[in-house]
Amino acid sequence: MIPARANRIQLGVVLLLLVVLHFYVRPRLWAPRASPDFLFVALMLFAMRSPPGAAALAGFAVGLIGDALTPARFGAAALAHTIVGYVGSWARAVFFADNLLVNAAFVAGGLWVRDCILLAASGGGGKSLFTELAVYSPLQAITSALFALIVLVVFREWFSIRLDA
Amino acid sequence: MASASERSYTRRDTVMFVACLVLSLVGLFSPAAWGLSIAASLRETVLAPLVWLQARAEEGKTSRVRFRAITAQRDSASYLAQGLPSLVAENERLRQLLALSRRLSGPYVPAEVLHQAQATDGRTLLLSAGSRDGISVFDPVVAPEGLLGVVLNASERTSILMTWAHPEFRVSAFTVTGNAAGVVAPSLAATGGDGSLEFRGVPYRDSVPVGTLVLSSGLGGVYPKGIPVGTVTGIVREQAGWERVYRLLPAANPGSAAHVLVLVPPKADLSRAFPTDSALRAERLDSLNRLRVADSVARTARLAKARRADSLAAQRRDTTRARPRRAVPAPPPPGAAPPPAVPAPSDGAPPSSGLPFSAGDSAR
Repeated sequence: MIPARANRIQLGVVLLLLVVLHFYVRPRLWAPRASPDFLFVALMLFAMRSPPGAAALAGFAVGLIGDALTPARFGAAALAHTIVGYVGSWARAVFFADNLLVNAAFVAGGLWVRDCILLAASGGGGKSLFTELAVYSPLQAITSALFALIVLVVFREWFSIRLDA
Repeated sequence: MASASERSYTRRDTVMFVACLVLSLVGLFSPAAWGLSIAASLRETVLAPLVWLQARAEEGKTSRVRFRAITAQRDSASYLAQGLPSLVAENERLRQLLALSRRLSGPYVPAEVLHQAQATDGRTLLLSAGSRDGISVFDPVVAPEGLLGVVLNASERTSILMTWAHPEFRVSAFTVTGNAAGVVAPSLAATGGDGSLEFRGVPYRDSVPVGTLVLSSGLGGVYPKGIPVGTVTGIVREQAGWERVYRLLPAANPGSAAHVLVLVPPKADLSRAFPTDSALRAERLDSLNRLRVADSVARTARLAKARRADSLAAQRRDTTRARPRRAVPAPPPPGAAPPPAVPAPSDGAPPSSGLPFSAGDSAR
């Protein structure tokens, strides 16, 4: 099997696992607003290993799922995830690709940016917007980044992660 | 998969990004109804497996929570069920007390009995109401069944009830038929645990039948007239041919009293509060008759059992002997003891031969 193709399959397995976790495990977790966003972790892992166009398309798809399942403002999640996916893929070219902490920081920062765009596009604001961005979004960013760290450590061979960096 | 160094910022990527961006903006600024319909169609088609997966997860979580709730409910129910019989009994007593309070024409103060652990708890009881509630010394205390006693001491918040089991308890009484009057006092053996009352001072000529209800007469001014004190169960003794002392079954039991009514002045006639008409008397007599019938049934059963034991013993004797001659039964030996007496059948019991098995059966 060609190495690139094998890598794609491995990435696909991990992404599928994250999708299952997002829809089957996350509802059972203790705090839904602070629980890790497995789908966003999957998007970031994919975006950091894909061209910007594919990352944008994946972000659009993930956002469309969010828009379909959360009846807030249709299109807001698609917009937010598209931007974050595209920027994540582009930024990946600038920073070190195989650094564990860089990957985790991408996840945390991307999630917070995603929430900013999402809330801004969805409308509403004031105190609830501030609370969301100051409390819940950072919490979810931290838990998601921690989970991304675990995934990257567990599958470090597949993701070509350097632990000594 | 392209590495970071190899990744190129191509025009195709930009086009895809712009296309996704435009589609998102179209969705964002399209009418809400369009967005909702698109979302619904996505949920029904592409996202149906994911929605199903999430529904199972939620169901599992809900089932777990529901299981915990049901377990907690079961535990609570079993805990409550432990006290249910006592609650039912208390409820019944409270209903009776409520019915009594409706029938009472005079004022009264309800009080709870605070039972103590001492052995003398039955003689004096602590009540939860005191002088602040209007209770004073010598106020009579009644239960739904009848007279319990009199207030011996009343402090501000509590009071002491002297029950009929107290050696110093006395109440002037008369029979419900009105043919005999006397004084009711605790039995001389009551202090030893007999737990009954004596109806003293009844003239010898006044015969009181068993089952007669004895009420307070109202003489002396302490107890109002008409409170049931007890029921005559028999004669204790006769003194010198001029007085009979009857044994009374007390109407109210201090040991099981939980809620009582303290009758405060002015005391009224309570003959209506405790119905003592012929129906009640008939009911009480009927219960005594039932007891008598039950006794006779038990006696008959005992007799039948003895008869059966005798016949079995006779059969055993027959089988241990030599085979008896069928034609002529052997006469008893001259020195032999007479056969055990078989009690005569009574109360319409069918006559029995005393030997349920034939000679052929015993020879088998």
